[in-house]
Amino acid sequence: MTLERQLQGLSVAAPSSVSGGVSLGTGLSDGFSVFESPLGSVVVAFNPLGVSAVDLLTEGFEGRFVERFRRQLLEARPPSDWEELIVRALAQGTPGALPVDFRSVTAFQRQVLEHTAAIPRGETRSYGWLAGQAGRPGAARAVGQTMARNPVPLVIPCHRVVLSGGGIGHYALGGTEHKRLLLKSEGAIL
Amino acid sequence: MGDNLATDLASDLDESFPELVTRFQNGVFSGLRQLAGDHHRAEDLTQETFIRAYLALRSYPAERIRDMRLRGWVWTIALNLLRNDVRSSGRRPVPLQLRDAGYTPSEPPDSQAWRRRWELLPPTQRRAVILRHVAGLSYPEITEATGRPASTVRSDVRRGLARLRSIIEEETSEEESR
Repeated sequence: MTLERQLQGLSVAAPSSVSGGVSLGTGLSDGFSVFESPLGSVVVAFNPLGVSAVDLLTEGFEGRFVERFRRQLLEARPPSDWEELIVRALAQGTPGALPVDFRSVTAFQRQVLEHTAAIPRGETRSYGWLAGQAGRPGAARAVGQTMARNPVPLVIPCHRVVLSGGGIGHYALGGTEHKRLLLKSEGAIL
Repeated sequence: MGDNLATDLASDLDESFPELVTRFQNGVFSGLRQLAGDHHRAEDLTQETFIRAYLALRSYPAERIRDMRLRGWVWTIALNLLRNDVRSSGRRPVPLQLRDAGYTPSEPPDSQAWRRRWELLPPTQRRAVILRHVAGLSYPEITEATGRPASTVRSDVRRGLARLRSIIEEETSEEESR
């Protein structure tokens, strides 16, 4: 065999982890892992900017993600120091030091979500109060829409936002029953 | 001069970038495996090369991307990372099912022999031979990747091959005399 042929023989296929790693590292795909939460198993999606989505581990979560975020999902491990932060964020209902990817919401919605993140465990706030915090008193309806669009429920505790008249209001992650369950477990309602 | 891929990248980077990875990853990985002498390091470096390529392309205007010679350019990134011994960032998500799928790198039986042979070559000759004959770059692409003039690259390759031949001959005669 000629030397040139021998050298060509050193050419091999790249391991399959390369294209997956590139896709995740560039943010063209998000990674996802399953975590336990007060609502049972949830899927947490993440990319180099932060945690991008939280959803119940039910059939079709991948399809729902792709449809909303227009990126692919690959099963992955989050960056090593985020793992503990995710577990804690889900358990306590606050992002803490965990970065959140807010690209999927508007600037106003982001502001509302950041105020939501600061509502202490065991307490609730009204949609109107949040609207005021975000500098748009009277925009309670827009706040309600923001809660429905919260990409990371549980991590950003939109379940702590309720109707000013005492009603519990909607909850995107599995409906009102889940919201009631969360607020009860946090001691915010009886 | 650009090619179709460069035009595609210029018009829709996110859509076309996976094609760039598909097209160049085997060559980049194979070349880096010989240059780095280690499978896992080559894997990390290959991944990092393409991530950096993506980030760079994202910052370039479309006209610039359209005129790029992509393979040589990708290799300038790879060689820089190799030189600076850059490790992939720990702040990135790691693909799970791919790593855990039981993929074990198949170390070719004579990889030890090749490691030894490469060590006996001057670095510029080693790099030129690997880029030309393992990674499959053209001479203009090697010039772009290494910044060395075309005539020098040609002579590096020629001398490197001659040196390799004599190393292999020596190995054969040593074996026969045993």
